Amino acid sequence: MPGSIIQTKLYVPRRRAATVPRPRLSDRLSRGIDARLTLVSAPAGFGKTTLLASWLASAPRPEGLTAWLSLDQSDNDPTAFWTYAIAAVQTVAPAVGTGSLALIEADQTPVELVLGALLNELNALPNDLVLVLDDYHAIKDRHIHEGIAFFVDRLPPHVHLVIASRADPPLPLARLRARGELVEIRAADLRFTPDEAALYFNDVMALDLAAGELAILAGRTEGWIAALQLAALSLQGRDNVAEFIKGFAGDDRYIVDYLVEEVLQRQPEHVREFLLQTSVLNRLTGPLCDAVTEQDGGKAMLEALDRANLFLVALDDRRQWYRYHHLFGDVLRAHLANEQPDQVAELHRRASAWYERKAERPDAIRHALSAGDFGHAADLVELEWPALARARQEVTLRGWLDALPDQLLRCRPVLSNAYAGVLLSSGELEGVDQRLRDAERWLGPSQPSDAQGAGMVVVNEDEFRTLPGSVALHRAGYALARGNLVETVNHAHRALDFAPEDDHLTRGGATALMGLAAWASGDLETAYRTYAEGMADVQRGGHISGTVGRAVTLADIRVAQGRLRDAMRTYEQALQLASEQGGAVVRGTADMYAGMSELQRERNELDAATQSLLRSQELGEQSGFAQNRYRWRVAMARIHEARGDLDGALDLLSEAQPLFMIDLSPNVRPIAAMKARILVRQERTGEALGWAREHGLSVEDDLSYVHEYEHITLARVLLASGSALEASGLLDRLLQAAEHGGRTGSMIEILVLQALANDVHGDMRAALVSLERALTLAEPEGHVRVFVDEGPRMAALLQAAAKGGIAPGYVQRLLTHFGTAAGEPRTRQNLIEPLSDRELDVLRLLATDLDGPEIASQLMVSLNTMRTHTKSIYTKLGVNNRRAAVRRAEELELLSRIPTR
Amino acid sequence: MPVNEGGSYEIRLKGHLAVRWADWFDGLTLTQESDGSTVLRGTVVDQAALHGLLGKVRDLGLPLIAVRRTGEQP
Repeated sequence: MPGSIIQTKLYVPRRRAATVPRPRLSDRLSRGIDARLTLVSAPAGFGKTTLLASWLASAPRPEGLTAWLSLDQSDNDPTAFWTYAIAAVQTVAPAVGTGSLALIEADQTPVELVLGALLNELNALPNDLVLVLDDYHAIKDRHIHEGIAFFVDRLPPHVHLVIASRADPPLPLARLRARGELVEIRAADLRFTPDEAALYFNDVMALDLAAGELAILAGRTEGWIAALQLAALSLQGRDNVAEFIKGFAGDDRYIVDYLVEEVLQRQPEHVREFLLQTSVLNRLTGPLCDAVTEQDGGKAMLEALDRANLFLVALDDRRQWYRYHHLFGDVLRAHLANEQPDQVAELHRRASAWYERKAERPDAIRHALSAGDFGHAADLVELEWPALARARQEVTLRGWLDALPDQLLRCRPVLSNAYAGVLLSSGELEGVDQRLRDAERWLGPSQPSDAQGAGMVVVNEDEFRTLPGSVALHRAGYALARGNLVETVNHAHRALDFAPEDDHLTRGGATALMGLAAWASGDLETAYRTYAEGMADVQRGGHISGTVGRAVTLADIRVAQGRLRDAMRTYEQALQLASEQGGAVVRGTADMYAGMSELQRERNELDAATQSLLRSQELGEQSGFAQNRYRWRVAMARIHEARGDLDGALDLLSEAQPLFMIDLSPNVRPIAAMKARILVRQERTGEALGWAREHGLSVEDDLSYVHEYEHITLARVLLASGSALEASGLLDRLLQAAEHGGRTGSMIEILVLQALANDVHGDMRAALVSLERALTLAEPEGHVRVFVDEGPRMAALLQAAAKGGIAPGYVQRLLTHFGTAAGEPRTRQNLIEPLSDRELDVLRLLATDLDGPEIASQLMVSLNTMRTHTKSIYTKLGVNNRRAAVRRAEELELLSRIPTR
Repeated sequence: MPVNEGGSYEIRLKGHLAVRWADWFDGLTLTQESDGSTVLRGTVVDQAALHGLLGKVRDLGLPLIAVRRTGEQP
């Protein structure tokens, strides 16, 4: 990616030698540097860029750094946008971006993670930094606006953002304004005052106009700088100044039209022609101008125009690259389209050819599309897309593909397949099938031609050679995304048949997809083996970074197999691998700790489980994959559940819900079912039954692994609602299915529920048979919570088992876990209604100096939950404020007796 | 009316804009009024196209006086 950065976009414009000093505005900019954001918002030609350039050149900012990014239409791709923004900062602070750039190029990174990393890097910057985003109105992409809003909100104090735009950006400006975090310079501020106009005409341009003439010009232009500049150019070397000004004042034509015509008329024919023809370019350099005009001397011409102040803006210090001032360029293009309509396409074609010779394909593609030269544009896109896909600029690629006529795409299998890949990566399944069929038409034994008789077109032979494998891989991914496991495996096999031995990425991808399909079908041993094999191949193909995070998938499979020790080993090995990489924390590390926490929770090591989650959190969002935000909250919810804080658990699950990300791993533990389990424990059986109805679950359902967790939950709901018989029938079938798939983890839970169901029927003997099987399966791996979560009835059953001599050592150990975390109040309280453990925790913190949000965060509950606890404490203590609650607690000696964890 | 629907529109600008700009505004008709304003008339396919036109008005620095919807899309 760094190779394709256009350096001129990062150039800080130099101050023109002759400008009007504007201390009133520079001072305001300098004072604004302590705010977060400066917005320079005014229409075209109001001198926004010039003002910023001269302020930056003159303001005394010792050690202060300046980064500049000139935006254009092509930056409407979040990946491209942030890559450029980081590149701009790197021009003055090379250390910034090491982590964030890597994140941009990684798979599926949410933009907040990239920005989080970037903000950390900026935070570490020893110097002050001003980052200017010029021409921000070119940005239309909503995700970029959201990213900027996020960025502005979290900017470190020594970094200041300046946005120059023709339209107010869709940011929360009112809020920033109200907090004094926004400095604005608008059209009314930028207009030349009569004094500034006088300075400009008479000092800068040496036109020596009379006061009356100045007043007329200032009035007619209303201080619009572009118009004043054009007027000055029209006046230079003119004898009949008074007459010109009189004519100008008495005319109500669009002022720029009027003045540009005046200026153009006074240019020699070859200059005028040069200006019109090169107006199709958004950047100008001598050789490119020569190619477009089919003349020589472009470089000299540009320098002459620059000297004559003919609206050329320098883009570097070497007099190589320029652009026209935007407004002037627009007027030139309107003239060109009007005077030489037939020429426009040809000029774009010449520009495209020049860029192609320079191997700058994105610009070549842009001009080819403007020329309406779609066939050639498609050729170029076909050659360029692998590089773009690697740089993860799917939005740009999508823009090009959308600009090409469908008819033409359909004859190009490489592009049709690329299109399918872009759609799949954005999760848009609609259209994938059609694009893949378009590609497949040309891969069969007989070469068809389409309805118009057009044959197949292939430009990128390398891509075409590997196309059958790539299409089959996309087919497999599409089938898996739609939940069709048989087709997933079939297509993955085809991909393997097609892909040559050394095509590790296709082969590894296909194998991994087969592993995921096996997982979704509940065949866990095959899933584990196949997925691990696929990932090893992907690693051979050079994708090291993902390997660490993939451990989550492997560990999840191990947990379902009931192999907690293997799962833990998987995480430990991945952490080891990550620590061997050196340097920054490897992405996925945070996921490992969150995964380990779940294993520790199952062993009832709740403090260790909490510590692991805190470690995961401390590592920061950038060291976790996007899915970790969801998994972390689920893990925390289950710890709260284990500690008996069911409301807190529900809160966390609700918080997790919107963070769920669809990926190709099966969602084997849907969050709605997790919530239903908590409802059961809260004895809200009616609501839990509502959940089952809403999801159309019944004991008659065919069983499949993806719905196993929901069906076990249904059995729990039925048990709680007094339908033990129905529950038993379902549990018998579930047990059979789990045994068949080698899912020992599921079997243990099902057997535990069977034991409870039999106990309800009064069949103690059958209950103990089930329980003994569960204990035998669970003992080697050290499961605890799967028993303890079931409460006093399970404790009684275990005591009965112990009497019967079943796994006595293990059962004794399990029995010690009852009543510690889940159970008995830890103090005897002289209250009619005793405080719960959680309420005692809150009470202890109420006696400190922490405020509400701090207490909530210390206890890792939402503010709402904390308030509910507080209210309940007040009621039970018969008080109505915090101080009284603490005093009453001291009187009752509740605080001293609370053990600290 | 669904939000994406187009229709005929009138866009009134301050100042007289030369007829050559009709192309720039995607073939809208362009009328110079006696009060010194210019009116662009034509149909747009949807709201996005309308906003595209308004963006072009903005890019020329022309003061916008009024935008009026004059009819449904045929």
